Amino acid sequence: MILEFLISAVGLGALYALLTIGVALLFGVLGLMNFAYGEIILAGAFAMYLFRDQPWLVALLMAIVFAVVVALLSERLAFHPLRNADPVTLMIASFAVSLAIQSLARMTVLPRTRGVAPEDFLAHRVDLLGADVSVLDLLTLALCGTMLVAVAWMMGRTSLGIQLRAAAEDFQMASSLGVRANLVIPSAFVTVGVLAAVGSAVLVARQGAVSADMGLQPMLIGVVGAVLGGMSSLKGAALGGFLLGAATALLESLLPTDLIAFRDAFLFSALIAVLVVRPQGLLSGAKVRVS
Amino acid sequence: MKKLGSVTGVLQTPVLLIALVLLAALVGVGGDVTVARVATLAIVSVVFVTGLSIFSGSSGVMSFGHVAFMAVGAYTTAYLTIPVNLKAALFTNLPGWLSWLVDAHASFLVALLVSGVAAAVLGVVTSPIVARLSGLQSGIATLALLLIVYNVLNSWTDVTRGSSSMIGIPRNTTIWLAFAVAAGSIAAAWAYRRSRSGLQLQASREDYWAAQASGIAVGRHRALSWILSAFVCGLAGSLYAGYLTSFNVNSFFLTATFAFIVMIVLGGYLSLSGAVIGALVVSGLQELLRRLQDGQFTGGSALPAGVADLILAAVLLLTLIKAPLGLMGVRELVLPRRRRRAAPDDDATEAVTPAAEAPTQAARGA
Repeated sequence: MILEFLISAVGLGALYALLTIGVALLFGVLGLMNFAYGEIILAGAFAMYLFRDQPWLVALLMAIVFAVVVALLSERLAFHPLRNADPVTLMIASFAVSLAIQSLARMTVLPRTRGVAPEDFLAHRVDLLGADVSVLDLLTLALCGTMLVAVAWMMGRTSLGIQLRAAAEDFQMASSLGVRANLVIPSAFVTVGVLAAVGSAVLVARQGAVSADMGLQPMLIGVVGAVLGGMSSLKGAALGGFLLGAATALLESLLPTDLIAFRDAFLFSALIAVLVVRPQGLLSGAKVRVS
Repeated sequence: MKKLGSVTGVLQTPVLLIALVLLAALVGVGGDVTVARVATLAIVSVVFVTGLSIFSGSSGVMSFGHVAFMAVGAYTTAYLTIPVNLKAALFTNLPGWLSWLVDAHASFLVALLVSGVAAAVLGVVTSPIVARLSGLQSGIATLALLLIVYNVLNSWTDVTRGSSSMIGIPRNTTIWLAFAVAAGSIAAAWAYRRSRSGLQLQASREDYWAAQASGIAVGRHRALSWILSAFVCGLAGSLYAGYLTSFNVNSFFLTATFAFIVMIVLGGYLSLSGAVIGALVVSGLQELLRRLQDGQFTGGSALPAGVADLILAAVLLLTLIKAPLGLMGVRELVLPRRRRRAAPDDDATEAVTPAAEAPTQAARGA
């Protein structure tokens, strides 16, 4: 019982951490609080719907392709011309991008909610150390955990990761030391696309449906997690997302039923409180570092 | 004579803006039912965006949460004007401490004022947030405020009817009442801008630290303008409810927020004229787009739903890229000059403009 709860809470935490990193990465590199992140997830989710009859791994690959393409297109068409704009302008622009992609989806392929039948293998339950665990929870945990490790490796060990971190720390300094903006910014968007695609695969499997406005909730989770953890530190953001996920799982099993509907209100009040009291985030020290 | 010139110089912007709104009202009165509806809602939008401009225009801090004040105004008007017997049928599960809501009733004008006050009370409660935050943090916090209010309105089914529509509000908003409120809001917004507090807030918009160092209590002035703008947005919500006679909680969420942001950004969020012109232009544009989507320009074949939103989003993006300060920038609407050289004290706003523009641009670049 405890193990079941732990696996589902840690899985949700890992998923939220994944969503949070997608928001925090772009914020670090560009100062962009990306409200269109939900629509990148939507692109991945749509691919999961389109290729629902193919093997699951093929669908996942296509989700990555779709999400990366949408992420890159949004960079090229909207955020590239605004590269020197201030964060609030960027935030308003991402609002517009989000609405544009959502209406495009509504116009063409997703006028209403589409069901995606759950994969057979996800519905199984297995016996793990005496606990009865669903494969879906295990998959959430495994997939998101793998992605987190991969991102940590990329950020820490590869040249691109070091350039990304440098750009997130001080963009002007990094570019005068030879970090090329035209390489770093698109690759940040590609990374975000991959993260969003994996997130979307998990979300579709959990929700069993795809709709044009499905991106709002995961995007808000990313924003809240990033603010809680400290927006300019990827580690802090990931930890913030993880704690948010674990806390959500905990709240859902502990809150009295008639208060569960107000979960978001509690969550966003906490967000405002953190912004007012500790704008650098709960988890980062006074000295903000990105690593 | 000189004194008189100075007074007309100061007053010409609000008078011109009110005349513009009057023009919209006359178009509405002269047109058919649809035109009247569009004109009335456009004037309600003017009230709202003027309210938003009282805060954002002077402080330079963008707010994504003002629709929450509009929602509070609309719900207050609903509680106060829906006939008592209908209310008893609509709200059967009111918790005990709110049961007085069923018997509460007021005339529309009183309800209008109470709606503004209710929104202002929410403004007072939330003012410490905006007093302390700037820039992006303020943007996120105000958005969180909207999400909280939406969540509560949507989930507190016993009191707010949740996602079911609020129905049965008598239609009390006439186009002339809307015009009167709009004129009052424009006058109030202008008066605030020219007031000591408004000028100090505008100074903090141009250079936050310099203003702080000059002894301006930026937080206090932000809070004051926030509360005033909440009041005006509450009035807008009340007019909205009193015109449409029924509304849904989803009317006060991201779609509405987005539409108002398009208005204020397209017009130019630093200028009151920009806010008013943006509200009128975008309201007209939205109606055109609605007709386009219904197929009135494409030979009757309706376009897929979403075209209007897509074009609106494209307009906003284009504005942000090509003219980030909007149509008006930091200028205000004034009559074209007949004299070649203006008297020095003719128009203080004009004198401020060139100086004000430079730091704003510089701040954007940084």
